[in-house]
Amino acid sequence: MEEVKILSAKFAIKDAHKLKVAKKHGAYATLDKLFAMAPVDVIDEVKRSGLRGRGGAGFPAGVKWGFLPKDTGKPVYLAVNSDESEPATFKDRYILVKDPHLLIEGIIICSYAIGSHDTYIYIRGEYTTQVKALQAAIDEAYKAGYLGDKVAGQDYRIDVTVHRGAGAYVCGEETALLESIEGKKGQPRAKPPFPAVAGLYGCPTIINNVQSIASLPYILDKGADAYRAYGTEKSSGTHLFGISGHVERPGMYELPLGLPLLEVIDTIAGGVWKGRKLKGVIPGGSSTPVLLPEEAKTVTLDYESMAAHKTMFGSGGIVVLDETVDIVALVKNLIDFYHHESCGQCTPCREGLGWMLKLIKKILRGEGSPADIDLLRELCDNIEMKTVCVLSAACTMPVRSYLDKFRPEFEAYVTKTNASPAGLQQE
Amino acid sequence: MADMVKLFVNGVEVEVEAGKNLIDAIGAVGIEIPHLCYHPALGADGNCRMCLVGIEDGRPPLVPACKTPAMAGMKVLLDAEHIRKIQRDVMELELINHPTDCPVCDQAGECRLQDYYMSYDRRQSRMTVPQVVKGKKMAFGCGVVHDQERCVLCGRCVRFCRQITKTGELGIINRSDDARVNIFPGRPLHNRYALNVVDLCPVGAMTSADFRFQQRVWFLKKSPGVCHGCARGCSITVDHNREKEQEARIYRLRPRHNPLVNGYFICDSGRMSYKAEEEGRLNEARHGRLARSVDQALLAVAEDLAQGGKITFILSPDSSLEQMVTIRALAEKLGATLSGFSDGWIIPGDGDDFLIRDDKAANRAGLELLGIDCSRTGFTAAVEAADLVVNCNNDLGRSLSAEELGQLFQSRRLISFASHRREIDNQAEIVIPVASWSEYAGSVINCQGILQHFPRAVVRNQPPMELVELIARLGSPLQSEADCWQELARLPGLPADPATIPTEGLQLNDNEAAHDQP
Repeated sequence: MEEVKILSAKFAIKDAHKLKVAKKHGAYATLDKLFAMAPVDVIDEVKRSGLRGRGGAGFPAGVKWGFLPKDTGKPVYLAVNSDESEPATFKDRYILVKDPHLLIEGIIICSYAIGSHDTYIYIRGEYTTQVKALQAAIDEAYKAGYLGDKVAGQDYRIDVTVHRGAGAYVCGEETALLESIEGKKGQPRAKPPFPAVAGLYGCPTIINNVQSIASLPYILDKGADAYRAYGTEKSSGTHLFGISGHVERPGMYELPLGLPLLEVIDTIAGGVWKGRKLKGVIPGGSSTPVLLPEEAKTVTLDYESMAAHKTMFGSGGIVVLDETVDIVALVKNLIDFYHHESCGQCTPCREGLGWMLKLIKKILRGEGSPADIDLLRELCDNIEMKTVCVLSAACTMPVRSYLDKFRPEFEAYVTKTNASPAGLQQE
Repeated sequence: MADMVKLFVNGVEVEVEAGKNLIDAIGAVGIEIPHLCYHPALGADGNCRMCLVGIEDGRPPLVPACKTPAMAGMKVLLDAEHIRKIQRDVMELELINHPTDCPVCDQAGECRLQDYYMSYDRRQSRMTVPQVVKGKKMAFGCGVVHDQERCVLCGRCVRFCRQITKTGELGIINRSDDARVNIFPGRPLHNRYALNVVDLCPVGAMTSADFRFQQRVWFLKKSPGVCHGCARGCSITVDHNREKEQEARIYRLRPRHNPLVNGYFICDSGRMSYKAEEEGRLNEARHGRLARSVDQALLAVAEDLAQGGKITFILSPDSSLEQMVTIRALAEKLGATLSGFSDGWIIPGDGDDFLIRDDKAANRAGLELLGIDCSRTGFTAAVEAADLVVNCNNDLGRSLSAEELGQLFQSRRLISFASHRREIDNQAEIVIPVASWSEYAGSVINCQGILQHFPRAVVRNQPPMELVELIARLGSPLQSEADCWQELARLPGLPADPATIPTEGLQLNDNEAAHDQP
């Protein structure tokens, strides 16, 4: 089992974020080929590659582009989602800092394919280093003629604007992201209409994750088949995985999709640290339901296998939990985050997550009752999918999984046989 | 007629208007879909999640009714168990942080949360943890008092200030259950329609400083009325009550939905104009310096009129058509002149492009329709030529200064029929109190040429005489309201029976009656 270097090809090269170095290693080499192709052929190539959106939902990128209505007379916008706000996710930041020209090249490819001339990169506010690196690269690209009125000497204009968020998790939701770019409070919009029809400023808009966009140069350069050589039939290509938590070698690794999760943890990340036992794995960011060790044994890192295990592939942020983890405290932490980040628009999410937080705190203080655990579990069902966006589900899905899979730990708290000091400290 | 489509609600076929959202479309055939944030004047927002309905065989199977247009063949599920559960669950979540202070809440009795709790929830609270504590009795300006704890954050008030008044004073700040409706620091509500947020608020979060704690709403008698604050003639509801052993009193005016005139709203000054019905009223008839009964005073007036000489009747532009036509009839019989002079009721530049008009008279179009001269020159000439002037409740002080009036009536006999105490009536020989607009039934024509009829709302303990009756007693050929309408029906476009006027009013022919100001 080995890492592959497609997205991360230039990560190890010194100063690869600089245009001169990046060019020496192949940056912008696909543009001649791109402009010789018809946009529809570019979309076809991406469709054939099977590239799926890397933001978490895994929707096929080429298919998404195909939703754009034709000849509306309105401009088409590209919004690049660089909010990367899902806890335990740290992949896009590497691209932004180590190889921003890969992203810009991807933006040029995508813009040409969908007929867009204006790109907004929505970057999370906390990414100060990343925004500097990205802006510097964009400035270089403008100067070198890769962006601006005549991209790579062609009669094609592309302008790229970096828009910094103000620190709201929900702005990673594509329509809240659009609201935020428009200068409004970051609240998800009701769909339909979908952004491809009425997005930014009411115009057709494609929103793609940084990693999805950064995958495009390889697909265009080497072809869809070369990309499909990695991964599985339905989950093609490679993915940047951020492995964190209780492992010997945490970090960001680029791997083809479809590898067995437990093997990845054991070989790539060096296994559970300090010789401890595995308690569970969060497979793709905090909002994905947890997997027990026996499930981690059978699951593979692709969309289908994750779905078969009643969890989600998510954002590639793998968190390994060792046997010392206090699940109740973890759940409190989890609800605390989603409660804090609820935009407050829809009643179930606004009121419900606050209630769940108070209940889990009560349980954690040793003041809960079995009825509180049942209520917490019921609230997960009552809140989920009753809202405009999926933020509420991002909280209730994992919480339900912990309640179902680690129920005795919650019961221990309410029967006071295990008022864990660790948990109380958290409180 | 709009296009109709057939769809199914709970398996029963109904015919509804195509393209309307499900709340309105299905609501029109009498089937309620619970909702808090949607309001027809403000559009759908989709935040309350109360109106989630199932669509059988639909994708997605669960949709907010407020954002879903009615389409042919749609199978809407409302009474399915999973939909009832959602309604119960959302109600529970609406209520967990609600103070449930209904006993001291002004909204109680007309509160969506109360109504929906009874219809869709009816369970004991399961809230065993402390509630979120928020701001109370926050003065938002314009007489609006906000209670954040009662607020369900539907955002109607916020959308009203953004979409309707376009002043944007309100916003929802913060996220999560820290979200609150608030004003910007030091920038309170500042628009002439602000109190509409009190009506719009589906719960007791927005209250009127004027109405707070005055009356339980279930004691209020609700009479349809027409606002007499300006020439718009907004449709209103007069909320009044007589407490035991007390005088009947108006507690508040509220807008009454009328798509032709005012939509869902009224202006604040119109809303507060009920105070004028309560304050400064003339209660006693007088002859010379002596208090008289109305009958005695009327006898004296009749004698004066019978003496002959030149008589001028002054009409009020606020009077009803019935009053105007009977005064005209009496004047014709007596050979008297008429004037509806009321220049001072027009305040140039005060109107706006929404509801408020420059002209503060409710029925100037009526005067014009009846051919009554309103000019200043006509008025001066008529008064100067007259031996006796009979003022039928025209507040001349609005048009002329006290000096001008003093001079005009120095050597002229004046009789006043007045609803309110006014300076000019001190100069009158005989003064008789008459009913004001909330105390009689009548008809007025607004600035758009829309004829509206309103019934009598308030009956005082000692009801002042209505002008129509008073003029009849003085010998008008029109002895009843029916007589008045027989006469009015001779005018183009007017019906013979006011009962046939639709509730939203009757658009009269523009050429005849409209006097839209520029």
